[in-house]
Amino acid sequence: MTAADKTIMSAVDPRDAGTQLRPGLWQTINERYPGSMIRKESFVPQARLAKPLAASRLTLVSSCGVHLKSDQHLDVCHPFGDFRFMRVPSRAKHDDLIIHQLKYPHDDADLDINVIFPIERLQELCQEGRLGGLTPNFFSFIGYSMDPEKFERTVAAGIAEAVVREERADCALLAPA
Amino acid sequence: MPTVSVTVARDVTEAIKVPRALFLPWPMGHHFGVPFQRDLQRRVVLAALGMLETSDEPGTILDLPIKWADVRREAKTLTEQGRKL
Amino acid sequence: MSVPYLREAAAQDDLGKLVRFVRLHLGDGNEAVGKEEIDRSWAETIKILLRDQPVDREFIAQVLEKDESTLALLFYHLHFYLIRKSGRWIHDGSR
Repeated sequence: MTAADKTIMSAVDPRDAGTQLRPGLWQTINERYPGSMIRKESFVPQARLAKPLAASRLTLVSSCGVHLKSDQHLDVCHPFGDFRFMRVPSRAKHDDLIIHQLKYPHDDADLDINVIFPIERLQELCQEGRLGGLTPNFFSFIGYSMDPEKFERTVAAGIAEAVVREERADCALLAPA
Repeated sequence: MPTVSVTVARDVTEAIKVPRALFLPWPMGHHFGVPFQRDLQRRVVLAALGMLETSDEPGTILDLPIKWADVRREAKTLTEQGRKL
Repeated sequence: MSVPYLREAAAQDDLGKLVRFVRLHLGDGNEAVGKEEIDRSWAETIKILLRDQPVDREFIAQVLEKDESTLALLFYHLHFYLIRKSGRWIHDGSR
């Protein structure tokens, strides 16, 4: 690629180009917060669906920090993160839910939670028979964490355990914020 | 357990080696689209869930190349028409 | 700037590293912005106190009897409270 090519490419707005809107995010995060990201050296073996989606029970796990309005919210002020997670009833609607967050824009999610946590879209797909069912609860946590080892040990392990043993999910949709 | 992620940060997703992911060239906080645009939100969800049935190779990232400028343009039109889907 | 990194910095009493982390957290990854945010929250305390409204010193005394971890975390909550009061809220993940 020539310097001219690079100049032309950088002049194209990524919103029109269809490329990642914040390029170099991985590098930026690691420069500003070294050691904060969980690293994997290799791929985990891929699990396969045991039955068609239309017969499978799905759960939704999100780092958007959404919760029922009646629940106390997670702590978005703590400089290291909040290592708890919330259960969000999969029957809940937009008006039942709220997001407290610092580190990502949620103005649009405040208007329509499905922008970041597509709970009502999944309910509809279930009613239409495209999905076998939803777990009684979905899961949400705060994505900001400065302690990857503690995060794996608490949030990740806790949600994995709940999803498998309590909720008996067949598959999971993972949605970062 | 089979999982599928939705991402707007392709480089982060590649680095952490998820089993399968759907990439959208959209901003943070908008992984499934814009408010009240039910059809687009469904499309994203279905594209992601479809990967649970079709994706074979670990680390597969499927692009859904819907430009953010187009999403926003349509959202603006819907708002101006006063429609809530 | 992870917790293990900060533990080392704290053990060495490396003020520079510890403060840099605070600024990054308060500035959403931008140290200069974080520095400004710290100044802003302190400036907001002066604006509020200039209004000369009644204060509940008994409540403050009770709070100060709490454990150090709670009070240290409260400091962050108070910072964000004051930033909201200032009317200039930068936190949306866009930086």
